[in-house]
Amino acid sequence: MDTELILMQLFSGVALGAILVITALGLSIIFGMLGVVNFAHGALFMVGAYAGLWVASLTGSFWWGLLVAPIMIGVFGMAIEYVLIRPLYGRSIDDPLLLTFGLSYVLVEGVRIVFGSDGIPFPTPSSLTGVVDLGVGFFPIYRIFVVGVVFLVVVLLWLGLEKTKFGLIVRAGARDPTMMKVLGVDISKVWLLVFGLGVGLASLGGVLSGPMRSVNPEMGALVLAEAFVVTVIGGLGSLVGSIIAGLLVGVVISMTALFAPEMATIVMFALMAIVLLIRPQGLFGKLA
Amino acid sequence: MNAPLLAVNDIGVRFGGFVALQGVTTEFRPGRVTSIIGPNGAGKSTFFNVLSGVLTPSSGSIRFKGDDLKGTKQHEFVHRGIARSYQITNIFPDLSVHENVRVAAQASRSRYNIWTNRNRFTELDAKADAALESVGLVAKRDETAKFLAHGQQRALEIAIALISNPEVLLLDEPTAGMGPEETKEMVALLEKLASERTILLVEHKMKMILGLSDRILVLHHGRLIADGSPRDIQTDPEVRRVYLGQNDGYA
Amino acid sequence: MTSPALAVSPSASARKPARFRSLVTKYRVPLSILALCLLPWLLPSKALAVNVLIYGTVAVGYNLLFGYTGLLSFGHAAFVGTGAYITGIAIGQFGVPWYLAVLMGVIGGALLAFVMGALSTRTRGIYFSMVTLALAQLVYYVALQTPSWTGGENGLRGFTVNKINLFGFEINFLDPVNKYYVLMVFAALALWLVSRILNSPFGAAIEAIRENERRARTCGYNVERTKLLSFTLSGTICALGGTMSALHLAFVPLDSLHYLSSGMIVMMTLLGGASSFFGPFIGALVFLVMEDVFSLWTSHWQIIVGSIFVLFVLFLPKGIWGTFLTKVMR
Repeated sequence: MDTELILMQLFSGVALGAILVITALGLSIIFGMLGVVNFAHGALFMVGAYAGLWVASLTGSFWWGLLVAPIMIGVFGMAIEYVLIRPLYGRSIDDPLLLTFGLSYVLVEGVRIVFGSDGIPFPTPSSLTGVVDLGVGFFPIYRIFVVGVVFLVVVLLWLGLEKTKFGLIVRAGARDPTMMKVLGVDISKVWLLVFGLGVGLASLGGVLSGPMRSVNPEMGALVLAEAFVVTVIGGLGSLVGSIIAGLLVGVVISMTALFAPEMATIVMFALMAIVLLIRPQGLFGKLA
Repeated sequence: MNAPLLAVNDIGVRFGGFVALQGVTTEFRPGRVTSIIGPNGAGKSTFFNVLSGVLTPSSGSIRFKGDDLKGTKQHEFVHRGIARSYQITNIFPDLSVHENVRVAAQASRSRYNIWTNRNRFTELDAKADAALESVGLVAKRDETAKFLAHGQQRALEIAIALISNPEVLLLDEPTAGMGPEETKEMVALLEKLASERTILLVEHKMKMILGLSDRILVLHHGRLIADGSPRDIQTDPEVRRVYLGQNDGYA
Repeated sequence: MTSPALAVSPSASARKPARFRSLVTKYRVPLSILALCLLPWLLPSKALAVNVLIYGTVAVGYNLLFGYTGLLSFGHAAFVGTGAYITGIAIGQFGVPWYLAVLMGVIGGALLAFVMGALSTRTRGIYFSMVTLALAQLVYYVALQTPSWTGGENGLRGFTVNKINLFGFEINFLDPVNKYYVLMVFAALALWLVSRILNSPFGAAIEAIRENERRARTCGYNVERTKLLSFTLSGTICALGGTMSALHLAFVPLDSLHYLSSGMIVMMTLLGGASSFFGPFIGALVFLVMEDVFSLWTSHWQIIVGSIFVLFVLFLPKGIWGTFLTKVMR
């Protein structure tokens, strides 16, 4: 086994991890702010991929799909928060979870009705096809692009949370929502935006992963499980945790696939079980 | 003189960079009412949480009847003989008043019995009714706990804590949120209880504390700054300084 | 808050339903068995009745954890599926007699539940649902990757039970009525077991934990250990449901391990009402009848069931039977 192959696999793990990072970040941001675990996150990832495909085929450009679909689905996410989840605040923490699970059923079946049950190929945009020689080996351009986009989004997110007034409110509101009300901040508007942002991140992950996986109505199921594994490893509500755990899981899956492909998915869950044994609150989670 | 029942030695509690308790050393002897006072954030609740096993102190040791409680899990404290109530009413809201106490009584035995009908344990029913009798809630035994008046819920919580017949009873603001009438009833109840066991009390109502306590501890910024009889405490210069200018009722 | 006078009056006017309730509670096992005896003659097909039997058992077992202990697991398909797979493998690949295969399935499911419970009850609050889901998916992928045992994505076949011997009598197990009544014995056993557990001191302990975990701990309950026992018992009953399903279908689909199957159990339980003994069974009945009816109209019946579930979470969180008990019986 030569170093080049290992490096390539390592890189493809990073690309896979990048998708996990962006999906888990969406889940974690929503949980941190609203205390809601969004069980429709995987389904919305899938809807995002389909939306990207649809916009790309309408406009004839992948770039419009990449740009418009996350915004479109993000707005759809806000509607979900406003209509379905808002009535559940103040009730058991299990209720939003149950509701979003039911919603994922509806979304998956809805996509089957509109786009059919079979998978649809998502072509890689022509400007991003091919491989590039980075000296140590040939890497697919599209995967480099995915890592770049996720890096950019993470930086923007970090700037948004650390340097803007909105970010300040989000961070303070996550710690103490009642205090925000006392200070006259309309917290429900923040919830709406944060839910939309989280859902938008999931659908961006969906569009980005389109050319890497095939697009089908069931793709969200595995994504949800992966996002859960990442957030449990990283610590729910911790953004740094999501990033590090996402990359870790991506690399571990890829490297396992190199030596024992049938173990690739299994090892991710085993990793989670080990973390649970050692640190039940996750690597970056705080003790309740 | 009696041997100390409960002794803490150089207890410290840190949350990240925040020091909640520091170098607290004291002991409690059987059969007395000790009140713990101090301004908000002084560390009273933290101290109670350490004494009842909710929190493991960052440093220092606790001994109960000579045994080091290090490594003792929270749920074992009640079996050792230390029971508590909480500042915010903490009952089983959807269970009946009687079931609230009965389920607490059953915790000392047959916890993992999945086979016998629970109604067979008639001695637990009798025990529960006796505890309700002692706090004056027998008439309400079949009502759902969440429909009780606030003061009755507080009394119910004390019944729950009493059911294990603890040697040390920790009461965190038993009169919180009570009107004068309810407070009076609670004070009468506490006086009755004080004749039978060791009581530690966190309270804000000064008049009540001075009347009820044999001894008062004063915490300030996580340190024990005074320890003595109610008379000593009233005249202690350090305590006067801490409380100066502060409202007597809700310091 | 509530004055004593106000608190007394509703309980006085509610005397009649209280009596109805306590009667139903007291005779819940005989009542269930009576209903189960009549069920195949009330439903359009015997196959549907067998399904109700199986999923009713699974949902009642699940509800021990969800409704009574207050823990929302999204991983119970793992126990149903494991029970089914072990039964199927024992019969098909080792020629074990059917009743031993059932026993092995139940024990296997119980062991898995103990291990998964030990891991997941270490976590708190909302983590629990995520962890149970992920651990169950681990079981799913293990089954997918070991096709020589499980048949992989094609599912497990080749273990048809044609007839069974019972105390010297030979019963034709392919006859749907016979099959129903044989499996009904298992369902009745499970219901009786769950009813006993709920009546026991342990039943009181799990309710106390559901009501107020912190207070239960302060009362002296080892919350983690109690949850683990509840998890294991609940998983064991679900595994029994799984072995019943294996005997019924002579087939174990891989999807029976998927978390969407766990979700189906959750949906059934909530539709019927998680706060009551009968609720989950009624939920299983309603869910499966809906599936039967809607799937005649459209292959997209899941969108209807999903929407109905969402509406239940929003407007009828106590489910059909729970709402009946609190609203209609007033």
